[in-house]
Amino acid sequence: MEKKSLWAFGTREVVYAAIGAALYAVLSIATNFLQIPAAANVSIRPAVAIPMFFGLAFGPWVGLITGLVGNVISDLISGYGFWPWWDLGNGLIGFIPGLIYLQMTDFRSLGDIIKAEIMVVVGVAVGMFVASVSEIWVSGIDFATSMATNFVPAFISNIVNGLILVPILMIAYSAVRGRSGR
Amino acid sequence: MNSPSEARLEIEGLTFCYHSRQEPAIQDISFDLQPGEVMLLAGASGCGKTTLMRCINGLIPKIYRGSLEGQIRVYGRPVSEMSMAELSQSVGTLLQDPERQIVGSYVLNEVAFGLENLGLPRGEIMERVERTLDYLGIAHLRDREVFNISGGEKQKIALAGILVMEPRILLLDEPLASLDPASSSGALQLFRRLADDGISVLLVEHRVDEVLAIQPERVLYLEDGKAVYLGDPQGMLDVVDYRRVKLPARTVVRRARNAEPPPEFQPALPPPTQQPLIDFQKVGFRYRPELPETLRGVNLQVHPGDVIAVLGANGAGKTTLVKHALGLLKPTRGQVLLEGQDTRKLTVAQAAHTIGYVFQSPTQMLYAPTVEEELAFGPRNLAHPPEQIRADVSWAIRTVHLEPELKTPPLALSFGQQKRVSIAAVLAMRSRILMMDEPTAGQDYWNYRSFMDTILQMPGFEAILFITHDVDLAVIYANRILLIYNGQVAADGSPHAVLRDEEKLRACRVLPTSLLELNLELYPQTGRFLRAEALAQYVA
Amino acid sequence: MIVSFNYRNRHSLLERLDPRARWIFSLLVLFAITMFWDVRFLLFFLALTLGQYYLARLTWRETRRAWYFVFFIMTTMVVVNTIITSSGTIGAAMKGTHTVIFHQFTIPITGWIWELNLTVERLWFAVTQVTRILSISALFLVIPFTMDPRQYGATFRGMGLPDRLAYTLDLAFRFVPTLGRDFQLTLDAQRARGYEVEKVEGGLFTQIRKMAPLVVPVTMNAILSGEDYANAMDLRCFGLRKRTWIEKLTYHWRDYLWIGFGALLLIASVVLSLLGYGEFWVPSILLQ
Repeated sequence: MEKKSLWAFGTREVVYAAIGAALYAVLSIATNFLQIPAAANVSIRPAVAIPMFFGLAFGPWVGLITGLVGNVISDLISGYGFWPWWDLGNGLIGFIPGLIYLQMTDFRSLGDIIKAEIMVVVGVAVGMFVASVSEIWVSGIDFATSMATNFVPAFISNIVNGLILVPILMIAYSAVRGRSGR
Repeated sequence: MNSPSEARLEIEGLTFCYHSRQEPAIQDISFDLQPGEVMLLAGASGCGKTTLMRCINGLIPKIYRGSLEGQIRVYGRPVSEMSMAELSQSVGTLLQDPERQIVGSYVLNEVAFGLENLGLPRGEIMERVERTLDYLGIAHLRDREVFNISGGEKQKIALAGILVMEPRILLLDEPLASLDPASSSGALQLFRRLADDGISVLLVEHRVDEVLAIQPERVLYLEDGKAVYLGDPQGMLDVVDYRRVKLPARTVVRRARNAEPPPEFQPALPPPTQQPLIDFQKVGFRYRPELPETLRGVNLQVHPGDVIAVLGANGAGKTTLVKHALGLLKPTRGQVLLEGQDTRKLTVAQAAHTIGYVFQSPTQMLYAPTVEEELAFGPRNLAHPPEQIRADVSWAIRTVHLEPELKTPPLALSFGQQKRVSIAAVLAMRSRILMMDEPTAGQDYWNYRSFMDTILQMPGFEAILFITHDVDLAVIYANRILLIYNGQVAADGSPHAVLRDEEKLRACRVLPTSLLELNLELYPQTGRFLRAEALAQYVA
Repeated sequence: MIVSFNYRNRHSLLERLDPRARWIFSLLVLFAITMFWDVRFLLFFLALTLGQYYLARLTWRETRRAWYFVFFIMTTMVVVNTIITSSGTIGAAMKGTHTVIFHQFTIPITGWIWELNLTVERLWFAVTQVTRILSISALFLVIPFTMDPRQYGATFRGMGLPDRLAYTLDLAFRFVPTLGRDFQLTLDAQRARGYEVEKVEGGLFTQIRKMAPLVVPVTMNAILSGEDYANAMDLRCFGLRKRTWIEKLTYHWRDYLWIGFGALLLIASVVLSLLGYGEFWVPSILLQ
């Protein structure tokens, strides 16, 4: 498989971004039964591994759209309305791992998995921080509250889900990748 | 016949090798395509059919890289000099799975897609879309959501999206793969009409038997990337290996007469008993309260010793019926008893101890990092002891001839191999009843006959049930046929009793095959249904 | 699992507006709302957004879940903010002196001291916050129910997004029901292999790992089908030149009016806050 540029956005990126977004939304809804009631705005969602993985596998734009649009669609379907700052936060969860897209050569190797996991942590930290801090501005809570009620629960659940499922997806993908002939 | 200079498409000495592989996918292919001609491109999977199409429609070398030699000319111009926009208005490609090429949510958007991309004015787009929908007789679908449309109509929509760009050459990649026999017969008639209206049609299909019905002008037969035969259909029937490609039954009989007779086929099943394993009592089911019933008062019993083929058109309710046996769906009226217990009171996991159910698409269930773990998943869920799991896994892998792949990730295998892994995954659960939904879909003829033979001849199952569109599969393997139409059991009985009623079969949108016709003809001598090779000895 | 959208045409006034106009209006009003901490102004916005909600002709049944969700989050944030962390974004205003309850706790073992100091100001701030969050929620809650999913692509194209990006949205909506069906298929196929997703076993880690048999096949199958979709699109000239969108959107006078109204609200809000209005306000009667 040839990789040209980090920021390319051709037909393939369009398709994978759309698939990623739809998948993120569908899995979020389908696995809602694992909700942790104590967390504000967030639930335990294995689906969060999707934007991270799509970022790693298809680049930062695909990661960004997967997270951002996926979150929009999932909220649309659940009827939860539209929360732009949380959508952006979810987008960053996919965008940031996407930054090492060009360095991902062997999705099965320990080295690439470790690199990926580090980016997952950074992505969740940045993404959820941005979203939580926006709540200060929107809802008028203080920094400590936003950290306690928004950031920490969102960070923990997304990190746990991501760190466990991203490597599983990477290993599965390394098997699939050889089949297309590209 | 037109002279070569008028050819729409000319291919000379075409060889292509993918970047990532050593062996060329196709080697030294040459042929041409005339206006109004249907050419059948036949061959087993992996023979290079898809690669050849990609060379013609420009995906090679624009998307797929590798080394390309030889010449491809459309209207005398080399394809390499044409832009994608020009090429797509000369060559249209219908991909195998209609579901996987429809990009619009609504029929109108889907059909208009290509013209939108060309940036044509809105008025012209609408006019051409309407014209194409009318031509295909699907104008009534215009504002429907694609998701809720049946498979046969979906394919027409995908085709409309291509014809709207007014190509003069049409490439069709296994267009029958996802259709039931009645729809595929309709589709084939349509392809003939397109050719009669002047389009050159290159039809890639391994269901040779069915395509011959529309009398393709010529056949190109590929094996391992090389052209083995190019000429009229009649000549191909003498050249092609009838064990690898399904040919008309009479041809096989004629050619098998001098060959070694096939080994006797002996299913290993227990003798019939009166106690039913599965008992459907007046089962009705609807998916949602506002929808009509999908199953309407089904009465049905499965006994030990049954090998049941479930026949019927797409949407008749076959899969819905089978899912009830396992309790994946619960009846909305009536009841289903599994070994005397109401499925409403059983979990699916409990029912899985008795019934092993192989789903149609393997890609929807394979997840593990190795085939071995994949096969152990089911038995582990059922809490079998580890030693037994080990033994059952190795037995299952041998049954489907995949021993060398035990440590391979199932996702890295070819589609045909994946299908066999998915069957083995259920075999390893050692259930008493085996159910399979379209076990032969996407399989080579030789492969599916080989594993069907093995599965039926191995001891262990008390009853087997499979859903299929392939009437021949029912003819060869079943001892009981269940004909489903419109949510009801239209006929239930021995193969001979059910399949001889041609009128009823057609009414249920099931089409007789050449093998069935020949078997019915010879039934007085044979007393049972046989495969074509075995019939050879009965024909004078 | 049938995953479908909540949109159905209700023939409401709101649906007759151009979706672009509605997005622009919603964003303008969002910015306007965030300029105020004075409950009197916020009540005006609450009335406005509830008015829009009313115009959308939504029923309680449809929106019930969303409101429960909003109430749940709002309550957590407000309670934590008021009682536990208790500083507040708008600094000085929160440092009220009109104490209602004061209590000092010593947390056992650690010996940390935590002060509960509920003041009138702080409680009133909570009231203000609730009004504000409710206004914003009502503003955005109507969108999924009143916008036709088939217009999202054309809408964002019309708002200046490039073709490819706008089409990505269209395509994402196209894939949702398909992937919903695929998920159901995978769930059924794995259940037929004795997999029980409902069974809670092991800790959090085991529980998440247990999702792999569902998540992996659905994801990989989707990725494989992506190859076909991309080919089909390339073969039909996607992305070669500027495309026509047959979903046509046109602004009418009422759309300009709607955007104008939103702009007016934002401008007025900016002017008012420059003039010093809209800061946190406590009714003087409570401070007696």
